[in-house]
Amino acid sequence: MNTLFQLLQNMMLASVPAVGFGLVFNVPRSALIYCAAGGAIGRGGRFLLITAGMPIELATFVAASVVSLLGVYIAQRLRAHPKVFTVAAMIPMIPGVPFFTALLAVVEIQRRGLTPELLNTAITSGLRAAFIVAALAVGLALPGLLFYRRKPVV
Amino acid sequence: MMTNQSTAPVSVPLTEPVQREITRLSIETGLMLLQHGAESALVESVTRRLGLALGVRSVEVAIMANALTVTTLSENHCITTVRRNEDRGINMHIVTEVQRAMLAVAAGELDRAGYRARIEAIKPQRYPRWVVALMIGFSCACFARLAQMSLPATEDRSWDWYGLGLTFAASAAAMLARQWFAARHFNPLVNFFFSAFVATSIAGQGVIYKLGLHPKIAMASCVLLLVPGFPMINSISDMVKGYINTGLSRGMMAVLLGSATSAGIILAMTVWNVWGWL
Repeated sequence: MNTLFQLLQNMMLASVPAVGFGLVFNVPRSALIYCAAGGAIGRGGRFLLITAGMPIELATFVAASVVSLLGVYIAQRLRAHPKVFTVAAMIPMIPGVPFFTALLAVVEIQRRGLTPELLNTAITSGLRAAFIVAALAVGLALPGLLFYRRKPVV
Repeated sequence: MMTNQSTAPVSVPLTEPVQREITRLSIETGLMLLQHGAESALVESVTRRLGLALGVRSVEVAIMANALTVTTLSENHCITTVRRNEDRGINMHIVTEVQRAMLAVAAGELDRAGYRARIEAIKPQRYPRWVVALMIGFSCACFARLAQMSLPATEDRSWDWYGLGLTFAASAAAMLARQWFAARHFNPLVNFFFSAFVATSIAGQGVIYKLGLHPKIAMASCVLLLVPGFPMINSISDMVKGYINTGLSRGMMAVLLGSATSAGIILAMTVWNVWGWL
C-alpha cells in the first residue's frame, strides 16, 4: 500500500466516527458535514506528520490546531461556537485504547500484585493518553489563545 | 450617596423588576449551556454578553461544578442568584440555539420578552436511537479497521471482515444498552459499567470461537463508544483558560466514567474467561 492510498483510507475511516459521535453529541444537522471534514483533515494530517517522522503528540497538536483554525472560519459563517463541531472532529484522534489499557492495568495490579510489566503498561499508556488529550485540547484552544484574546470568536 | 459620580456609559436606569428579569434570563442562559456540555469560557462569555446587551452595567458569573451563580449590577444595585446545575447530557443543538438567540439580542433584533419566548421554545433535538446505534456501530468498526492498519508489519494487515462485523454488532448493541439505561435515568457510572459489559461480552465470543484474524482488536475497539472524549477535552480547555475548578471536576468525572467502563470490561472478561487486553 502506498502512502497516498493509506492517507485516503485514513481520512475516509476517520470521517465516520466523527459523524457518529456528532450524532451522540446532538450536533445540528447542518454542522455534521463539518464534523466529517474536520475528522478527515485532522486524522489525515496527523497520519502524514507521523509518516514524516513527527512524534504522535506533536502531530496531534498540529492537526488539532489546523482543524481548529479552519473551524473558526466555518463557525463565523454558521453563527455557532467552533467547539460545537470541532470536538466531534477530534474524536477519531482520542486515545481511547491507551486510556482503557492504563485503567485496566491498574485493576490488574490490584488483582495480581505489582509486576514491572503491569506498572510499565499502566504508566506509559496513561501518560500517552494524557499527553494526546492535552495536545488535542490545547490545539483546539489555540485560536482563542493566539488571535481571539479579548474578543469572542462568534 | 447618589449616582451622579457614575462613570458608566449613560443608559436608561432599570427598575428593580426589570433588572430581576434580566438576571433570571442571564442565569437561565448560562445554566442551559452548562447543563448541555458547553465549556466554562463559553458559559461565562455568553451569559455576560446577554446581560450587557439587555442593559445592565456588569454581569459577574461564578461557575462551580454543580451550581451557577450570576450577579448583575445596575445603578449601584446588585442582584445575585444561584441555580443548581444537573447534567442533562451533551447537546450541541441547544448550545447553538442559545448562542444564536444571544447574538440576536446583541444585534438588537430581540428584546427581553422576545428572548424569553425564544429560549423557552428550544426543544432538545435528538437523533433517532436506531440511527445513532447504527452509526456508532460503523464508527467503532472504523476504529477497528484503523487499528488493523497500524499493526506491526509482521502481522496480517488485510481487511478482517469477521473482526469488523463483530465490532459493529458489539458496539451497536452497547449503544442501544447505553440509550436504554440513559432513558431510565440511571447514574451514568452504572450505565457505562453495564454497556461495557454488553460490548465486551459480544466481542469476547470472537476470541472464544476464534473468529477472524485479530479478535483482540474487536474487543478493544467495541468499547470506544464509552470513551468520555467530550469531558476530557472540556476538562483540559477549562484548565488552560483558568477555570481550574470546573476543569478538575470534569476531568475526575471522565476518569470515573473510564473506571466504571474498565470494571464492566473486567467483569465480562471474568465471566467469559477471555483475557483480550493485557
